[in-house]
Amino acid sequence: MHRYSFILMRPLQFVPVVFGVSLITFILVRMIPGDPARVLLGARATPTAIANIRAQFGLDEPLWLQYLYFLRNLANGEMGMSIVYRIDVLRLIGTRIEPTFALILCSVLLSILIAVPLAALAARNQGRSIDHAIRFASTFGIGFPPFWLGLMLMMLLAVKYPIFPVSGYGETLGDKLAHLALPSLTIALSLSTVLLRSLRAAMVDWLKSDVTTAARARGMPESIVFWRHVLPNSIAPSINLLAVNIGWLIGGTVVIESIFALPGMGQLLVRAIFSRDYMVVQGVAMVFACATVLVNFLADIATVAVDPRVKL
Amino acid sequence: MSAPLLSVRDLSVVVRNGEGEQTLLDRVSLDLAPGDILGLVGESGSGKSLLCRSLVQLLPSRAISVTRGEVWMGGRDLLALGDAQIQAVRGAEIGMIFQNPSSHLDPVMRVGDQIVEGLRFHRKLNRAAAQEEAIALMGQVGFTDPARQFAAYPHEFSGGMRQRAMIAVALSCDPKVLIADEPTTALDVTIQAQILRLLMELRERRGLSIILITHDLGVVAQTCDRIAVMRQGRVVEVGDKRDILARPQHRYTKALISSHPSMPTDEANDVVDDKVDAARLPAGPARPLVEIDDLHIRYPLSGGVFGRRRSFSAVAGVSLQIRAGETVGIVGESGSGKSTLARAMLGLIPISDGHVTFDGASLRLQREATLTKMRQQAAMVFQDPFNSLNPRLTIGQTLAEVLRVQGKVAPAAIPKRVDELLRLVELDPDYAGRRPRQLSGGQCQRAGIARALAVDPRLIVADECVAALDVTIQAQIVALFQRLVRTMDLTLVFIAHDLAIVRNLCERVVVMHHGRIVEEGPCAEVFERPREAYTAALIAAIPDIDPDRRLLAPPGLLAS
Repeated sequence: MHRYSFILMRPLQFVPVVFGVSLITFILVRMIPGDPARVLLGARATPTAIANIRAQFGLDEPLWLQYLYFLRNLANGEMGMSIVYRIDVLRLIGTRIEPTFALILCSVLLSILIAVPLAALAARNQGRSIDHAIRFASTFGIGFPPFWLGLMLMMLLAVKYPIFPVSGYGETLGDKLAHLALPSLTIALSLSTVLLRSLRAAMVDWLKSDVTTAARARGMPESIVFWRHVLPNSIAPSINLLAVNIGWLIGGTVVIESIFALPGMGQLLVRAIFSRDYMVVQGVAMVFACATVLVNFLADIATVAVDPRVKL
Repeated sequence: MSAPLLSVRDLSVVVRNGEGEQTLLDRVSLDLAPGDILGLVGESGSGKSLLCRSLVQLLPSRAISVTRGEVWMGGRDLLALGDAQIQAVRGAEIGMIFQNPSSHLDPVMRVGDQIVEGLRFHRKLNRAAAQEEAIALMGQVGFTDPARQFAAYPHEFSGGMRQRAMIAVALSCDPKVLIADEPTTALDVTIQAQILRLLMELRERRGLSIILITHDLGVVAQTCDRIAVMRQGRVVEVGDKRDILARPQHRYTKALISSHPSMPTDEANDVVDDKVDAARLPAGPARPLVEIDDLHIRYPLSGGVFGRRRSFSAVAGVSLQIRAGETVGIVGESGSGKSTLARAMLGLIPISDGHVTFDGASLRLQREATLTKMRQQAAMVFQDPFNSLNPRLTIGQTLAEVLRVQGKVAPAAIPKRVDELLRLVELDPDYAGRRPRQLSGGQCQRAGIARALAVDPRLIVADECVAALDVTIQAQIVALFQRLVRTMDLTLVFIAHDLAIVRNLCERVVVMHHGRIVEEGPCAEVFERPREAYTAALIAAIPDIDPDRRLLAPPGLLAS
């Protein structure tokens, strides 16, 4: 499969990307004003105690040496010790990655489930009232900020009608899914509108295309014309849109995780920034960056899979 | 004539827009006999395609509707059928193929699966049987390795093979009538000949009746039994092919026949004396205006990190001299490198190897100086008149822009010069205020020529500039070029895949194949006595308007 050979080659390009990301986050984090040792020990700490902590975490070394240590640790699968939690950052992230990952996965699946049928319904009834209704409703999804939408959903579906738990994260799978329902729905309601608009536009174009004329001319019923010819052709442009939005989501779960008290990476990041926990900020930023690169890589694979003309 | 298989009676179609109704088809009546090929001829906008789509209720817009008439087939009126019933007619009884197979085939579906779709739906075959039948069908329409090509996607095929795939898709539903809507317009002459031969063969083998929509009377003369001529939504003339071609009654049919750029017959050739031809060649200055020496243009094919670098030679070692005042035609099939050569000639694409010299200045040695000189003395006319004009500018603005940049005309004199230019290309000066969208294709191309003339050039390179136009318009544009070349001191390089037009317009012809010049010489000589088999095959593939001059090209030559 020559067309897919990029799957083997592309990861080689990740190496310089990850290297660059590590350098940039390393420098940026250290440009934040404030001293982690001072934040850790409080306002009344003695200069000796602060110097001890700084020596213990290597903060008194020159920057370039700190960066080399960081790279050496990275090569050993460590990201350094968290100043606050006193465990390795990678292990710390390991305990927090699941809720964030699950939240993003559920949100994306949910928005696809919302967007595809509605886009199909709107496109096939282009210009009729149902099309207008769907497009009108979708402007709300774009217009309402997610934090407000999240609060409203919480009020409605957790407080007034207690179908879903208010906040937090569960232990068993079912419990976890129940806790993820509202935050996922919040994200999906805004994400699906973006998808819906792009899908509908593509479907409307393809419904008028020569391909559909030809399919109708050989007597194919509308359902075959739509699901077998229009839909597969309409997906391609939305894949990259989705990838860009997931990239944005990875950094943007912070707000949603805070509202629903999900113990994910967004929460971890916010706390780490406040406590100047350099190693954690650095680690989370790197994981986010790698995840974004990975999502785009998956999007490339998906694009090649749906459109045989694309070569990467 | 036996009882018609399909009979159209008094069909009228209108479009309703803001201002009211406009008649698109006006009481059209036609008959198609079993096993017949009916040629439907007329210009774009005459309603040929609409007529055929109306037969199966496939109207292109909700605003368009049938107001009266009947379409009888198999003892019932197709226009009276409901949605489900007409769906069973589409494809299964009346199949269609289209002008542009690239856009009518599903790009993300394997070619074989598109054939299987029809077989499964209309003939209710199971997956395995349908696949077997699809492979057999692909073989019938001329795929060389159907079992392997089954799994290929449309973009992996050439234009001719895509049209074959389109035909196989249409045949998969086993129709009695095949409507072929300009099936060969987008193809090279040699490929056109193959596709037409395939259609004739299918008619013989499957007893198919065909409605062939075309604007090329040559195609009709070669393939059809009967002709219907359409103009402005009406059938103005209908009858046996030979009757109509020999004794056209309607004024419009006569105009169509006279504007067909057919090759002169043998008797006509005798009139063109070789000596006269040779004498007509300009003695010219010693130094040619354009000199091309061992020109190579290569494009990189694959450039992976570890992949071997390969390249494709679009132009492979071409040497050509063009003297001032000459009219040179460059012909060849698509992919032969003629457009690449033209672009390289004007410094529009980088040269890989060799030299292009314009009026003594070498594009390689003094690039900047030569380009400046070229931009002041040479201009190009493009294939697509709409897309090569800026849609946001009026024609006047487009022309004025060129005049301003060139600086040869004083700013105050620009409006006057714009008027002059428009008159020169036989457009009313009022058109200066219009935008490309408000013009017809022919008018747009005139504007494109006016833009080239605005440079006040010594050299014009016209790249397939009539390929997108109707025949009657083609003839007008060619006449315009003839007049311009005669009255102005112009050198013209005219690129076309249509040999007949080049024959009419040019003094010298250059035949290209696979990036090389295979033959060149005075037009009359090359066309009468081609030295190369390839040139002979190209000439033989032109459908002549005389039905007795058969498409002779032996298949072996075309495949090379």
